[in-house]
Parts: sequence; C-alpha cells; structure tokens
Amino acid sequence: MLAPLVAVAPAIPNDVGGKYVAGAYIVFVLLLLIYVAIMGMKLARIERDLREVAEIAEARKAEPSAEEAAPGRGSQEPSISDSLAPGGSRGSGV
Amino acid sequence: MYGKGLRTLSIATVIAFAITLSLVFFYAPIEADQGFLQKIFYLHVPLAIISLCGFIVGGIFAVLHLRRDDPRYDAYSYVSIHISVIFAVGALLTGSIWAKGSWGHWWVWNEPTLVSFLIVFLLYATYYPFRYAIEDRQRQARYASVFAITAGAFVPLNFLAVRASASLVHPRVFATAEGGLPGSMMVTFLCAIGSMALLWTTLVKFELSAKSAQGQMKRLRRALDAPTTAATSRIAPEVH
Repeated sequence: MLAPLVAVAPAIPNDVGGKYVAGAYIVFVLLLLIYVAIMGMKLARIERDLREVAEIAEARKAEPSAEEAAPGRGSQEPSISDSLAPGGSRGSGV
Repeated sequence: MYGKGLRTLSIATVIAFAITLSLVFFYAPIEADQGFLQKIFYLHVPLAIISLCGFIVGGIFAVLHLRRDDPRYDAYSYVSIHISVIFAVGALLTGSIWAKGSWGHWWVWNEPTLVSFLIVFLLYATYYPFRYAIEDRQRQARYASVFAITAGAFVPLNFLAVRASASLVHPRVFATAEGGLPGSMMVTFLCAIGSMALLWTTLVKFELSAKSAQGQMKRLRRALDAPTTAATSRIAPEVH
C-alpha cells in the first residue's frame, strides 16, 4: 500500500514515521469514503422513494380519466404533479 | 435549494486539498524534533480545530433556533454537530496514530489535551441518543438546542482550561513563547485549516441537501396519502 505513495511522493521516508503518516492519511480518506458511501445509500433510498411516489401519482392521474364522472377528484391532480416536477410548488419550499 | 453551489464548493474543496497535500509533502520542511511524523499534524490539528469550531457553530445555530423559532436553524445545528462529530472521530484516530509513532502509546490518559478532547467528543456523542429519546419533534428540537448551546459554550472554556494548564507532553502548533511555526510551515498549516473548513462546509451543505430531499419526499408522501416505506429518522430534523 505504501509503495505507490512513496513513488508519487519521494519525500516520504520509508521508515517508521512514514508508515504512521501514511496510516493517518489513509484513515482520513477511509473515513471520508465511509461517509460518502452512507450518503450514497441514503440518496439511493430517496431515489427509490421518489420512483414509488411518481408511480402512485401516475396511477392516481390515470384514475379520473377512467371515472370522469367522479366530481372533485380532477382538481387535486395538478398539485400532485406539480409536487413531482422539479422546482414545483411543494418542492421549492426550502 | 441547499444543493445550490454545492458543485462549485466541492470542486474548490478538491483543489484546496490538492494544493494542501502538495505543500505538506513537497514544500513544508521536515521538522527537526518530530521528523517526518510531524506531517500528521497538517491533518490531525485542522480536523480537531474545525470539529471544535463546528460544535460552536452548532451552538450558535441553536441560539438562533430558540430566538427565532425557525426549524431550519435546528436542522443547521444538527448537521453542524453531526459533521463535527465525524471530524472529531478523524482527529481522535489520527491523533492516536501520531501518539503511537511519537510516544509509543495509542493513548495517554494523563495528557489533558487528549482527555479533554475525548470528553468533548463523548459529550457530543450523547447528542444523538438525547434527541432520539424525545418523541415530540418540537420538544426534541428545543431540548437539542439547549444541549447544543450548553455544550457549545463548554468547548471554548474547555479549550482555554487545557491551554492554561502546563503540559510538557503534548506539542503546541501555535506556540506562544518559543516563536511559533516557521513561515513555510505556517503557510502549509493555514492552507490545511482552510481546506478542512471548506470540506466541513461542503459536507454540511451536502447533508442539508440530502435532508431537504428527504423532507420533501415525506411531504410529497403525506400529500399523496401514501404509506411511508422509507426508514424515517426520528433523530434527524426535517428540512423543508
């Protein structure tokens, strides 16, 4: 593991100090990678949720066209589709 | 909204780290007393300083939350503390590695700087179970803010107390009596601090962006009356 690091940075002495310095920097990179991996998993979950919600919204949008006689349902659709659109009324409330 | 400028900030962080690492390994001289091992300080000390500053920033946001009763500040406070705890873990680990190389021990219990930092870390480690224990969101936010303010006030007091105590073991990066760091080391060290501050800001923004997306998703689900399948966190505040 140290060999590429020493090749890139010849100033690193291959003694005890070099080993600990490399260890400390590797620990830091690993910590960052673990954090990024956890955040990646969280974002994947949000993406999966978004897909589910989009499917529900699309299914609901399809419902009134089949049952046009049902009053009042149609008026709710635009707000839902607006919410799904990027920068929609609900999505921009940050 | 929180994602705005995140890309620029990320690129700036990467460039800053590239410059800092170049300075650390190719510009800063090898320290006479510590030798090459001292290079750990360009990582360990900024991690510790930025994590402590992050805890104080979390306390400031908590004050704003209590004053303005705006849940966004609670989220800022939570995320600031969260990222600072991660940085504190990094500071403890890299510090232990340095201690092993320099003193021959992973941990020295009679060293006030180490033990006080561990106390601060453990104090903030209790922040999560403390938040988690309170069901009601508003009470949770209020109590967490009070905790963040109290702990945030403890951080500088603790730092000053340790600084005032006479320690002959733990080295001081900003020495007061002996003239401090030479110019090249100081430039490298300040670059390292700047890079770490940029990284902290980027991660806070990234975390807030993810929390905001999560919050919007919950609102969307509520609007659709859809069952929530996602693992919702009772600890983390909702960001809208």
